[in-house]
Amino acid sequence: MTEHAAPPQTGTLQLVSRSTYIKESLLRSLFFLCAFVFVLAVALIFVFVGWKAWPIVADYGLWRFISGSVWSSGTEQFGILPLIAGSFLVTLGALALGTPLAVGTAVFLSDVASPRVRSFVRPAVELLAGVPSVVYGFFGIILLRSIVARFTGTLGFGAFTAWIVLAIMIVPTIAALSEDALRSIPEGIREASYAMGATQWQTIYKVVVPAAKIGIIDAIILGMGRAIGETMAVLMVVGNAPVFPKGVFAPLSTMTSQIVMDMPYAVGLHRTALFAMAAMLFIFSMLLVATVRLSSRLRSRS
Amino acid sequence: MNKRVTNKLALGVLWGAAILTVAVLGAVLLYVFVNGIRVISPAFIFTWPHGVNAEGGIWPTIVATVYVTALAMLISTPIAVLAAVYLAEYATQGRIVSTIRFAADSLASVPSIVMGLFGFALFVEAMGMGLSMISAALALSLLMLPIIMRATEEAIRAVPKYMRWGSYGLGATKWQTVSKIVLPAAAPRIVTGVVLSAGRAVGETAVVLYTMGQAVNMPVTPLDSGRPMTVHLYLLAVEGINLPAAFGTALLLIVLILGFNLSARWILRHYRKV
Amino acid sequence: MLALVSATGCSSAQERADRVIVTGSTTILPIAEQAAETFMSQHPSSSVLVSGLGSSAGIEAVSAGTSQMGTSSRDLKDEETSLGLVDAPIAYDGIAVIVSPKNPVENLTTKQLRAIFAGEITNWKTVGGDDRAIDVVNRDEASGTREAFKKIVMGDVGFAPAAAVLPGTGQVRDVVARATGAIGYISIGFVKPRFTGVSVKALRVDGIVASEKTVADNSYPIGRKLHFFTKGAPTGLTKEFIDFVLSDEIQKGVVVDAGFIPIAEGGTR
Repeated sequence: MTEHAAPPQTGTLQLVSRSTYIKESLLRSLFFLCAFVFVLAVALIFVFVGWKAWPIVADYGLWRFISGSVWSSGTEQFGILPLIAGSFLVTLGALALGTPLAVGTAVFLSDVASPRVRSFVRPAVELLAGVPSVVYGFFGIILLRSIVARFTGTLGFGAFTAWIVLAIMIVPTIAALSEDALRSIPEGIREASYAMGATQWQTIYKVVVPAAKIGIIDAIILGMGRAIGETMAVLMVVGNAPVFPKGVFAPLSTMTSQIVMDMPYAVGLHRTALFAMAAMLFIFSMLLVATVRLSSRLRSRS
Repeated sequence: MNKRVTNKLALGVLWGAAILTVAVLGAVLLYVFVNGIRVISPAFIFTWPHGVNAEGGIWPTIVATVYVTALAMLISTPIAVLAAVYLAEYATQGRIVSTIRFAADSLASVPSIVMGLFGFALFVEAMGMGLSMISAALALSLLMLPIIMRATEEAIRAVPKYMRWGSYGLGATKWQTVSKIVLPAAAPRIVTGVVLSAGRAVGETAVVLYTMGQAVNMPVTPLDSGRPMTVHLYLLAVEGINLPAAFGTALLLIVLILGFNLSARWILRHYRKV
Repeated sequence: MLALVSATGCSSAQERADRVIVTGSTTILPIAEQAAETFMSQHPSSSVLVSGLGSSAGIEAVSAGTSQMGTSSRDLKDEETSLGLVDAPIAYDGIAVIVSPKNPVENLTTKQLRAIFAGEITNWKTVGGDDRAIDVVNRDEASGTREAFKKIVMGDVGFAPAAAVLPGTGQVRDVVARATGAIGYISIGFVKPRFTGVSVKALRVDGIVASEKTVADNSYPIGRKLHFFTKGAPTGLTKEFIDFVLSDEIQKGVVVDAGFIPIAEGGTR
């Protein structure tokens, strides 16, 4: 609901003085500028990262870049296919591990827990969402890696360790958002289901969850965004071998971890390649955001 | 299997999921706590790291973290609050508003490494500010803007309409209404948003690594560089030599962030007038 | 806001007479940090800022002017010799090849090492050990230790791309200590445990034991010089710091404690 303190045309009553009108208009423009900063920032990121990444397209070739399987800066080969594969492998595995746990927790919070239990668990989940990634990475590298190493006889780096660390990290995010989606389903639906003799579980999986489906998928998408963009935690447990891993306990690399590994000494085309990966990550995260916004719009129409 | 048994089983599984989630997350925190608590002492907090393996304390890293976060809060809060004022009070639904919201969501989900590289390319190199508090604060504020804006917008929308109508009825202009009635009423939620975003800023690693550097230093002016706690933890962890200090740093980091988040909740609960 | 901010920043490397910025090798980092700390306590008005991102990063920083001194655990590459850098060697170091204490292998030839790190030999039984896969642990490309190992052992042969790449001496040591099939390389000075309970075993190379003595008399094959590089001849506070590091106090103290060999005693490399 908005109101504008605009002076009416001549012939009608003047409601405010001219100076007030000017002041109000200027203020409104100032506020608009502040809001526009967001757009400006995104555009700047696009422009800067894209500009620094452009030489890869111009000098190296975008297709060669994306489809090449050899990443070796010493021989000026920058094929990022193993890195893309690594990013997806690590992300999808983490999602597979974390989503059931997160959605289960969300369903628990929205439909099963008593208000007292919920008042304890939900804040706990939200607070844990604030723990920084470097702490999880630390946990992964010190504890998880040695346990995996002891039980498998390998170094302990690899997709498996990364899956566990990332899954732990995205569970709070997905759980909190899913629970919001579930809670927004009106009670009436549940009551109608109980009235027909359904048990709680039947109500949950036949009625409530399908109703909240889009919201839950949004939550998962945002969790995926967080996982793919995750840098420090992944870097510390993945082993940084820019190849297609031969198993889940073999070292591999992701786009994010490779950037951090190489940045300190990358020059010329190598550095450009790193910026190009950053640009791809940025575009991908924007795509995810667009997907979520689109689905929200669809949801609000149904 | 009749439906009652299935029901009991399923509910049990759900209880299990919730317990597992809390347990795993709690285990991580407990692990850090148990190993870190024996390192924490006034000496650890207030002395400098020295020697071959960062023995001693982590004081300059604490200062660097607090300094850059405070600076980022100063930069981002006015812009985000006023932006939210625009969206909530002045703007009409349309393509521009949609674009702004899309930009805000995008900003909120930028991978931190991308923000780090961007900050490096723009603030450190192109604008020549070098590895410094101000470069890092600017990069961090870009991440904090959407969080504060979202909280402020919600806060403003939660202010009841009758308060505004009363103000207009008395002849106040829009800005007078916003500044004297709406914003003060929304203040607790806004502060909550600011504090939560500060918690996020404290936990950032990749962003500050590329904009602040990693030399241990006590920052005085915004152009000084320093090493924040997150980077210190990262370096200690990968070097793997001085683990007690790493645990201590991790513990303090968690305490700081949890402190921020808990205060945010407390503020909200305590001051909720609206 | 943006205008205000851009007016405040200009030069990227703040040149100050009372401050020296030192960046570079993680191997040399302990010496540099310890020496800096002692130096600053003796010269209270000065400040020496030390960080370690790798030898390559150190060389790049000093030649670009963003630091006053670059430390490096490797020699300059051919393309770096024309950068106008002046070398002040400060110590000798040997690179030990380490494996888990549970590994029965005691000795490897340089040729075998090359094959292992190139990924050609993949099982320990080929070199006389158990039937177990070899997990190669490499250092990151910014590392001077890696460069030196590459130059001396690998030559033109590339490292196995599937090897784990770790960014720190301590991490390599910890990982190798806990994995029976692992092999890696670190500076001799870090082989003995300092803060940790786990231990590693240093192999003999071509039959020679890795020790300060064998590095000093040139019999151990994998040895190198540790360098302080400055752009042009060192002056002022930088020169004072270098002289300090070359003094007996540091050479016979920190350098030896860190497991390196003082420059005066070293071999003819």
